[in-house]
Amino acid sequence: MTNTKAKAKPHFSRKLLAIPYGLFLAIFVVIPLLIIFYYAFTNDEGKFTLEYVKVFFNESGEGVIGFFKSYNFKTIMQSLFISLVSTVICLLIAYPVAYIIARCKLKNKSALLLLFIVPMWVNFVLRINALKELFVFLGTYNKSNAWNIVNTIIGMVYDFLPFMILPIYTTIIKIDKSYLEAARDLGSTGAQAFVKITLPLSKAGIASGVSMVFLPSMTNYVVSNYLTFRNVKIVGKLIDDYFMGDLWHDGSFIALLLLLFMFLVTWLTGGFKADEQTETRGTSLW
Amino acid sequence: MQNNTKHIIELIDVCKEFDGVSVVENINFYVRKGEFITFLGPSGCGKTTTLRMIAGFEMPTSGKILFNGEDISALPPNRRPVNTVFQKYALFPHLNVFENVAFGLKLKRVETTCISKDGKEKIKYKKLPKEVIAEKVRKALEIVDLTGFEKRSISTLSGGQQQRIAIARAIVNEPEILLLDEPLGALDLKMRKEMQLELKAMHKRLGITFIYVTHDQEEALTMSDTIVVMADGAIQQIGTPEMIYNEPKNTFVADFIGESNIFSGVMPKDGQVRFCGKAFECLDGGFEKDEPVDVVVRPEDVKITPPDDGMLKGKVTSVIFKGIHYQILVQCGRYEIEIQSTVAPDVGDRVGLTVAPDGIHVMKKKFRVNKFSGVITKRNTVEFGDGEFECDVTQLYPGSHLDEEGYLITAKGEKLDLTDTEVNVEVGLHDITMSDNLEDGGAQGHIISLIYKSEYYRYIVRTENEEDYVLACEDLWNENDLVSLIIPPDKIRLTLKVAEGGKQ
Repeated sequence: MTNTKAKAKPHFSRKLLAIPYGLFLAIFVVIPLLIIFYYAFTNDEGKFTLEYVKVFFNESGEGVIGFFKSYNFKTIMQSLFISLVSTVICLLIAYPVAYIIARCKLKNKSALLLLFIVPMWVNFVLRINALKELFVFLGTYNKSNAWNIVNTIIGMVYDFLPFMILPIYTTIIKIDKSYLEAARDLGSTGAQAFVKITLPLSKAGIASGVSMVFLPSMTNYVVSNYLTFRNVKIVGKLIDDYFMGDLWHDGSFIALLLLLFMFLVTWLTGGFKADEQTETRGTSLW
Repeated sequence: MQNNTKHIIELIDVCKEFDGVSVVENINFYVRKGEFITFLGPSGCGKTTTLRMIAGFEMPTSGKILFNGEDISALPPNRRPVNTVFQKYALFPHLNVFENVAFGLKLKRVETTCISKDGKEKIKYKKLPKEVIAEKVRKALEIVDLTGFEKRSISTLSGGQQQRIAIARAIVNEPEILLLDEPLGALDLKMRKEMQLELKAMHKRLGITFIYVTHDQEEALTMSDTIVVMADGAIQQIGTPEMIYNEPKNTFVADFIGESNIFSGVMPKDGQVRFCGKAFECLDGGFEKDEPVDVVVRPEDVKITPPDDGMLKGKVTSVIFKGIHYQILVQCGRYEIEIQSTVAPDVGDRVGLTVAPDGIHVMKKKFRVNKFSGVITKRNTVEFGDGEFECDVTQLYPGSHLDEEGYLITAKGEKLDLTDTEVNVEVGLHDITMSDNLEDGGAQGHIISLIYKSEYYRYIVRTENEEDYVLACEDLWNENDLVSLIIPPDKIRLTLKVAEGGKQ
């Protein structure tokens, strides 16, 4: 009898700990997403419509061909270009840095790593403003359209570099040195061992870093605004413009497109593969 | 020189230090072609470091490593004709079984001569053709009994299978020497026994030289042609398993290989040894008269007899069933003797014990230095060997000094209180002097033995609690004299006791 009583009594289970996070997820992620979805496909009367899809793709009234000439398309392409270049530059800087820190014989590697993280402790609007002043000083600020794009890329790289370094560092430091020894033992030179072992084994960190730099640099329009006198527009700014102009439905549709794009990038970089991604985002260092 | 050709690997005076700490000291040995040689020793004895030096992962601090007579000490691992099976396999997780095994083959370049357009002969380095690689991998997998596993990913394999793949990955390159670094350590007992026999069979079939590292004495005895017993970075004994087991060179080897009873004894004459207060017949000889020796008796060589028939009499204190035999402990006076027997007496029984002459192994006591275990006291003196001596504690930490209060300040400025620190104490034979005045020295004892060694007398002074000091002195003293022992502070060498397994 006592047994059934004990069973009936509700007891604290570990699963209950998930409730706060579940609530948070629902309120701040799922519901806003649904609202975006709702806004993208309804009109002001709340009725289902594909009008804003049409408006987006057929802004000039010339059909699909017209879309490729449209302002929206150009903005998205420009934004993609900036993101892509920023990501590549970040990767080219971050990988050697992460590799050298991870492989150096210093005991206190985290201190060295801190050098790259400490700038993040300064408010980033402040940092971007400082960068702007530097460009003004150098005379490249708002000099031409090309300079504006260069400045934006420099700003993005400056801002997101730590997000690339950390995950790569975490994966490299976890690579068992015996793998490299085994590779050397089996006849590879140091360079071959790097290409065949270190690089593939740090793929997860690279993927993680890429998605953490590529996606935010599509939307972080603070950087582009400050550094280009609002002359370079990226996707984030596009959405903002629509929202500021009370065009909630148009803005929502573009936000939805961006979301799809993000899913695509995450999927391509293998971000959904749980086993490879665990603990590669630099969590241990935060 | 004619011998050298048969020695596939030879280590000459090889030393290795890590950050000034010596891990391997002056190692000399050779490996014959086709031999199965095992480095055996407790963790931290330098066996893995030695193997890693042969593999090329560590460079010796000094000394030479010869391969077929050529010095390869400076060659990187990829240019040495050896392959390694790692302790934790180190299989590449991002590659499948085939790619892992083929890793070395894909890197291989074969010299081919071809004629270039202008008619000159050229030497080109060509990759192995794909079919050749596939065939070699297939054969290697066949050898380790994992045919058909090519496409499997490493993470789907069991520990034993990973072990086999690691072996296949190494032997597929047809190395001259296969190095195995405790390869069976991660397997369960039954699997380990199976793999031991398989490795042995593989060694016979492949005909290549195996250098094996293990701390498991049974494993070493089962598999090896030759065993190199190591301790504290030095070779203790090299020999066949039978030699190592039956004729251990010193007490460390006797203690480490198999179970043993170790006694301190003396040799009154050839064929006779005194220990446990009795004179036993033995087969050893060639010692000086009354030379102190270590006596090793294997537990299975002690026979239990009726109390009155034994050389020694004692009382059974413990009987433990071990499967094949019983482990029996018998207390004979102050000596506890371990016996292995298939028949067990009862605990509390009075029994007699005998040892046949061929069951007694007499070995020279190592008297290069006096070794003691000591403790640092409050006054920065060291207590050992039944006495207390002034010493220089700053030698424990390089660059340190003492402050006014007697605390040790290390080179980094840390303040240490060394009271009750356990240390190893070493004092050389010639660094101890004797004095009539009992107040002069740090310890007192009676001279129990003196031997004239052409240049000096070698004395053994035994203290009240049976601590022995061995010392050399040119003056003649009498046996049984009560003397005090003087050791200058700078002649007392101290080293910190390192926790077991602290360095590897």
